[in-house]
Amino acid sequence: MITLGLQEKNTFLEAVNKKSGANVLECYQCGKCVSTCPVSGYMDFPPREVMQMVKLGLKEETYMANSMWFCLTCSACSGRCPRQIDIPAVMEGIRHLAIEENYHSNNKKVKEITRFHEIFLDMIRRYGRNYELRMMAEFNIRTRNLFKDMHLAPKALLKGKITLGHESTKSAKAIQKMYKLAEKLEKNK
Amino acid sequence: MNKLTYFPGCSAHGTSEEFDHTLKLVMKTLDVQLEEIPDWNCCGATSAHVMTENLALALPMRNLVLAEKLDNKTMGIACASCYSRMKGTKKHLDENPELTKKINSTIIDEGEYHGTIDIKSMLQYCFEEIGLETIKSKVKKSLAGLKVACYYGCLLTRPKDVTEFDSPEYPMSMDLLMEALGAKAVEFDYKTECCGASFSISNTEVVEALSGKILEVAKESGAHLIVVACPLCQSNLDMRQPDIEKHTKTQIGLPVMYFTQLMALAFGFPEKELMLPKHIVPVEEALKNIGKIEPEPEKIKKTKKAVEAESEVE
Amino acid sequence: MARVGVFTCFCGANIADFIDVHQVVESAKKIKEVKVSVEYKYMCSDPGQQMIREAIIQHRLTSVVVAACSPRMHEKTFRKALLDAGLNPYMLEIANIREHSSWVHQKDKKAATEKAADLIRMAVAKSIANEQLHEISVPVTKRALVIGGGIAGIQAALDIADARIPVTLIERSSSIGGRMAQLDETFPTLDCSQCILTPKMVDVASHPYIELIPYSEVIELDGFVGNYKAKIRKKASYVNFSTCTGCGACTQKCPVKVPNEFNMGIDKRKAIYTPFPQAVPNKPVIDAEHCTMLTKGKCGICAKVCEKGSIDYKMVDEIIEREVGAVVVATGYDLWDPKPYEEYGVGRYKDIITSLEFERMVSASGPTNGVPVRPSDGKVPKNVVFIKCIGSRDEAKGIEYCSKICCMYTAKHAILLHHKVHDSHAYIFYMDIRAAGKGYEEFVKRAQVETAATYLRGRVSKIYKKGDKLMVRGEDAQIGQVVEVEADLVVLATAVVPYKENPALARLLGISYDKYGYMSEAHPKLRPVETAKAGIFLAGCTQAPKDIPDTVAQASACAAKVCGLFSGDTMKKDPMISTINNENCTGCQNCVKVCPYGAIVTEEIALGHGSKELRTVAKINEGVCQGCGSCVAICRSMSIHLAGFTDPQIINEIVSI
Repeated sequence: MITLGLQEKNTFLEAVNKKSGANVLECYQCGKCVSTCPVSGYMDFPPREVMQMVKLGLKEETYMANSMWFCLTCSACSGRCPRQIDIPAVMEGIRHLAIEENYHSNNKKVKEITRFHEIFLDMIRRYGRNYELRMMAEFNIRTRNLFKDMHLAPKALLKGKITLGHESTKSAKAIQKMYKLAEKLEKNK
Repeated sequence: MNKLTYFPGCSAHGTSEEFDHTLKLVMKTLDVQLEEIPDWNCCGATSAHVMTENLALALPMRNLVLAEKLDNKTMGIACASCYSRMKGTKKHLDENPELTKKINSTIIDEGEYHGTIDIKSMLQYCFEEIGLETIKSKVKKSLAGLKVACYYGCLLTRPKDVTEFDSPEYPMSMDLLMEALGAKAVEFDYKTECCGASFSISNTEVVEALSGKILEVAKESGAHLIVVACPLCQSNLDMRQPDIEKHTKTQIGLPVMYFTQLMALAFGFPEKELMLPKHIVPVEEALKNIGKIEPEPEKIKKTKKAVEAESEVE
Repeated sequence: MARVGVFTCFCGANIADFIDVHQVVESAKKIKEVKVSVEYKYMCSDPGQQMIREAIIQHRLTSVVVAACSPRMHEKTFRKALLDAGLNPYMLEIANIREHSSWVHQKDKKAATEKAADLIRMAVAKSIANEQLHEISVPVTKRALVIGGGIAGIQAALDIADARIPVTLIERSSSIGGRMAQLDETFPTLDCSQCILTPKMVDVASHPYIELIPYSEVIELDGFVGNYKAKIRKKASYVNFSTCTGCGACTQKCPVKVPNEFNMGIDKRKAIYTPFPQAVPNKPVIDAEHCTMLTKGKCGICAKVCEKGSIDYKMVDEIIEREVGAVVVATGYDLWDPKPYEEYGVGRYKDIITSLEFERMVSASGPTNGVPVRPSDGKVPKNVVFIKCIGSRDEAKGIEYCSKICCMYTAKHAILLHHKVHDSHAYIFYMDIRAAGKGYEEFVKRAQVETAATYLRGRVSKIYKKGDKLMVRGEDAQIGQVVEVEADLVVLATAVVPYKENPALARLLGISYDKYGYMSEAHPKLRPVETAKAGIFLAGCTQAPKDIPDTVAQASACAAKVCGLFSGDTMKKDPMISTINNENCTGCQNCVKVCPYGAIVTEEIALGHGSKELRTVAKINEGVCQGCGSCVAICRSMSIHLAGFTDPQIINEIVSI
């Protein structure tokens, strides 16, 4: 059971609105997003319920959910939302807030997804461009699933879909500088 | 000779080499000179914007700054995901000049961002700038007999205020392009449903479910093959197809081709230029349908009541 | 010497919260001519009025200034107070310290107070130069024009005519009846729509005080309340109504088939046709766009088979004029085209229809003999999915409002489907169920319990084809599951929109309309049947979506207003109008050109006393003049006197600050 009326101000709602540029209050719970979203069946709480949770100020529960990590940013929902709410932006806002507040999920799948993104970003930092083979290998190692997609490897390598070597930009250093400066900008907010 | 600034994207020399290669062939035939952005970097794809705010804007911005230096009016992007990131970033930056200055400060060597370049996906460029008439005129070998399901994916036409191209629900640009080549584009209800995109590695079961449904509907619609315009979509629908078949215990066997491959074929390039061996699900059988003309389908039998109703006078 | 009284109102908190009323009252006392300056909480109330009346008598006031809200609110009330105290009611000036100060300067009390004091000073100065004016009487034409022959227009016409006031009822199609004639049964009683409507239609046709002009449109409206002149175009029907017996032989033989609008395009009608069997008048007209005789000069079969020789291919449109005192606008509604719902495949799938199409199908006299059928193959559907809020409450599709009637008629459709197809099942996707009228909630319960219709709360996200069925996907938020219904037929409850020519008609009549095209009422709460233009009234869906009970009520309300307007032999008019000073007028006629109401003409008068030579001067029709002041502004010889806004009055105001 949830008790309401304990907070003076719904700071969570304000933060989400500011981060996303949307206004969650406009959601009238029609549910079109839920049946539109291709992954709503995998979410702890589908988009409509996430909106309501934000409206009620249930920050912990929202951060604990896997919903925003499963969002594909395919924009099918926002294209159909009758109130024209930018739902992917709301999901992204919640993600960024969770990261800023150092919230770490215990959900196994969420951990795998965030790990993947971290590795991907690391590849770009190193090489300026993606190095798929290394990325997949690191992912397998970090998620302790060494043989994932191994059955695809021979065909993929033979057909040249995945290259052994990697490309990098001449100015991989410029990218590394960019990363550092971007991180500084995040901290100086 | 038209010049087009070109952003290939990370997969161009790997997973989507056949896309990049046939695109270059086709552009040459259409009298378009592609100028690849020198020293471009990864646009950040999904991971950057999921995890970061400023970096997600900085990575595409660097490419835009480099593109502006090439002095062409338009930039064409092959990968739908890169297109979405770059065009979305441009829109966001153009609406927030203060933010633009901040992000520009992270790009030290390449210079200032002016926001002067127009961004189109390669499908958009072919449809809007080159035009169906010109494309039709270059067809040497009609693809008549081939039935294709045009799969757009989620990012070519959405979000509408970023892409400003075709319909976000039931686009027809690729369909019309295919028909200009002589093929028949079947009615396909799942043409803009997401394939699972970047969950390919980290959340594979979702990709199998989503891509599986797309393949199922495409098969039911009677297509010989699926046409795509995005490397990620092609990878999910093609490379993951054997696993999908195994896990759902079904037979699909639907090859997945890039629209530029079919364009190249129609323009008279030999099959070996299409890099067909790169495909996981073999393409050759499907292509054999070219040249076979099917008889007209049976008209739906209407009940007597309906016929009466149509001709009745009140 | 002028003796002015200043009465400042608190207006509850509206003024008092943002202006220091005491200070304002005190500063008014400092003006030489002000003999009394008081305050009160609600000056418009009875005690407030009494205060003014007593002060006028006690202080022998020559003019009164009320510092309060906008004159649009209570000017009439305060004028009456002056009259009751024996003072000419036009010796009143109102200083609007609410809309012009307290409401717009809420953040700066000091400045707002100073401004209020200034406004009062101006009003005092003006009032000293006020003239004693008297209301003007204008004649009134006791005939009403009703535009639109649906249930709203029919009811208004009958009520006005029953009060022995002549009515001219015009309708653009060839028969009256409107949308209600298209309905099968009506909620919440399930009365047969035609059965309750046709008696009224027949009454209209036979009423001694109603002139019914079908197949016509209004093309011009000049004048002002009590004195309108309407130009009406009687469209060429190519059939002589006075000789036609309505036998129908022409319709039978006509070879041209055109989609039947009355049946929403489900079946076809002929080029010469009556819209439906119970049409009033029951005479056919020829659709000039599709008749081969009129377009190509071939055929002519109808003329050959007509025993009475009533066909006249040479007929042309006729323009007639009617003088009326009031107009009732009752142009009804259309259904929105759901094509923007691409996610539903509207236009691509034949088995998706609108609610009015479904209504025509289940009508006993409809194109499918009262049984719903699938347009694709004519089979009777078993699973029918009804989707509400199509366009309505959907800002992404451009319509914010709720269409009010769809929740009720969808419940009705569920019941009708159950009656017509016994083994059918209705699935209703909804956001809310709005059943606020009398007997409405009970009716919805009936639909839910008697038919076991499945109500699913959630907007539909997508419709796609599977074989020959349609899969309708939506969330059932009550159990938090995405559901897909295998449907044989999908019925869309599309939004109610106003008649598409409303904006053009509004401009013609000189009334306003909102962004959707609904005609604007004078005040949404207290004046729902009047428009801002005196003498023009609104009834039915032309003003906003509504059901039949509310439409009939609104129509009767219009009739009451019209009867009130016509209750005397003359009408009183505001005397704040312009008059020409013939001595000064040079006859330049600039005022004639600039008057937006066409109230100024010219006349020839004697050059001087007893002179035989004539000169031209301007002449203002006091009945038409609205006192806008355009002529005053343009007159180079300062020959125009605008009562209530004379030069001395205006100059006093300016000098006083």
